[in-house]
Amino acid sequence: MSTQTRPKQPRSKRPATKFFGPAAMSFPTWAYALFFFIIPLALIVFYSFGYKPDQFTAIATDHLSFDRYPEAMSASFVSTFFATLRISLLGTLLCLLIALPFAYWLAIKVAPARRSLALALVMVPFWTNFLVRTLGWQIMLSPDGFLSNWMQSLGLLDGPLDILYTRTAVQIGVVYNYLPLMILPLFVAIDASGKKLREASYDLGAGKVKTFLRVTLPMAMPGVVSGCLLVFIPLNGDYVTATVLGGASGSMVGQLIANQFNTAQNWAVGAAMAMILIISTLVVVGVGFALLKLGQTITARLNSVPLHDGRA
Amino acid sequence: MPSKNTFARRTPTDIALHVWGILVFVYLFVPIAVIIAYSFNNGKVLANFRGFGLHAYISGINNDIIVSSIVTSLQAAVGTAIVSTIFGTLGGVALARARRGAWWALGLTAILGLTLVTPEIVDGISFLPWFVTVGVDWGITPLNNGLVRLIISHAMFSMAIVTFIVRARLAGMDTQLEDAAADLGATPWNRFKDITLPIAAPGILAGALMSFTVSLDNTILSSFVQQPGYTPWPVYIFSAVRVALRPEVAAMSTVMFVLTLAALGFVGFVLRKAGGNATEIIKTMAG
Repeated sequence: MSTQTRPKQPRSKRPATKFFGPAAMSFPTWAYALFFFIIPLALIVFYSFGYKPDQFTAIATDHLSFDRYPEAMSASFVSTFFATLRISLLGTLLCLLIALPFAYWLAIKVAPARRSLALALVMVPFWTNFLVRTLGWQIMLSPDGFLSNWMQSLGLLDGPLDILYTRTAVQIGVVYNYLPLMILPLFVAIDASGKKLREASYDLGAGKVKTFLRVTLPMAMPGVVSGCLLVFIPLNGDYVTATVLGGASGSMVGQLIANQFNTAQNWAVGAAMAMILIISTLVVVGVGFALLKLGQTITARLNSVPLHDGRA
Repeated sequence: MPSKNTFARRTPTDIALHVWGILVFVYLFVPIAVIIAYSFNNGKVLANFRGFGLHAYISGINNDIIVSSIVTSLQAAVGTAIVSTIFGTLGGVALARARRGAWWALGLTAILGLTLVTPEIVDGISFLPWFVTVGVDWGITPLNNGLVRLIISHAMFSMAIVTFIVRARLAGMDTQLEDAAADLGATPWNRFKDITLPIAAPGILAGALMSFTVSLDNTILSSFVQQPGYTPWPVYIFSAVRVALRPEVAAMSTVMFVLTLAALGFVGFVLRKAGGNATEIIKTMAG
């Protein structure tokens, strides 16, 4: 920094400015993230190469190996793992399908005067406890609950409602719990796409469907991407919903990891399972992005108008 | 209401969208309505409705374990909001003012992004051995306090949210105002206090609110870092799920729901007085 400093910048001369400079200002946040996120996470990566020496010790790392990874991938883990992936992927897709028309309606069809209230209402479930909302579903889906009784008295069902503690119940619960996280980014993106572009599209003769597919949806794409990420990632690690609504048959990977740390006290295997969860989450997100890019390239090819001698 | 007229002009697609919108709202609110309804259950088991009454509220308020877990949760949420707002605001301002391509800014963005995409269960299991190492093995005793552990782990989770909200808020504003203040002789501290902070204020408030709720809601992370005597409310409910759920859980949740709505209404009212608009505020929060 001796000869490279910019002497013409008067602001960097004073030490006080340096103290309030952005790099120095970011230091506390850096330190916090380093001390309470990076180091603990690195420790887990390290532990995944260790082993459990005896019944009373949770972890030892005096000789390291990859052995815990095959050990973690037992048959029950693999089947739970794919069940979890199915629930998260289907859940993300269902959230998208439910939220897209809803966000479109909210951003375009609802009168601006009522939009604030509608948005605030979307936020309300978000402000109530996650677990408590899931309990609401547990009450509703239970075989001797009011919904079951009503449906039986209306003749819609022959016997008691048989959904609670199945995979269907978990699926309903996760879609419900993560839906607001999909609606909000979609709303922001569709709202930002603007009325003018849509009107221009109508003026140029495009119909409603065409305008939606060629203008609104491409403009909303960033919202779709961030919504899918916001839903898929936490959903893949969630096990609270599965415990409340799925019982024994609906367990998810998160539950298995938690068991290794809380019950079995085998940190090495638990850490290896966690690493598998992280890596697979990243792989799925990566594949999703690759498919998206591919789709965008193909549609851009199909929609582009080739120019010959300056004419279309 | 002019609804008759507007519906006459609406196409089938519009009507379908309206019906869909209302159905989604019903879907979003039915479980909450069920919980509120069942909080007036006088029976012993939550899911089994045996007569209407306020028994659950009375016995809930008189149950020391329930009350102390709610108090722990509220303390942790306030602490988390304070800690993550301080660190997140500093980080957000720093990132918004960083030179393009500065290594520390890219690194911080990447790490904070990573905290957002790490599954909560992984955060939980990585805090557990770390708190034991630092608090017990290294003898940094404050870290053995249950409340401190809750606040630190929750704040790690929500710091990134505050940072990104504040950065987004400041990204729209150029540095001219700060430069002008500097030319007029304002000290850096005064510039920060009188110019940067007021501009970032809606973002900071939104971030603080988000941290507060994220902390109040947190179950997985808390169940790993909790210490005896500092069981937060969601962890209490979660352990009750495995044993037996009593109507007290619904009653106390209803009380917290009403209090949260009142607090939100108050914040919304203050922001509106300050010239904000709900749509803008929510957009700020959604990033």
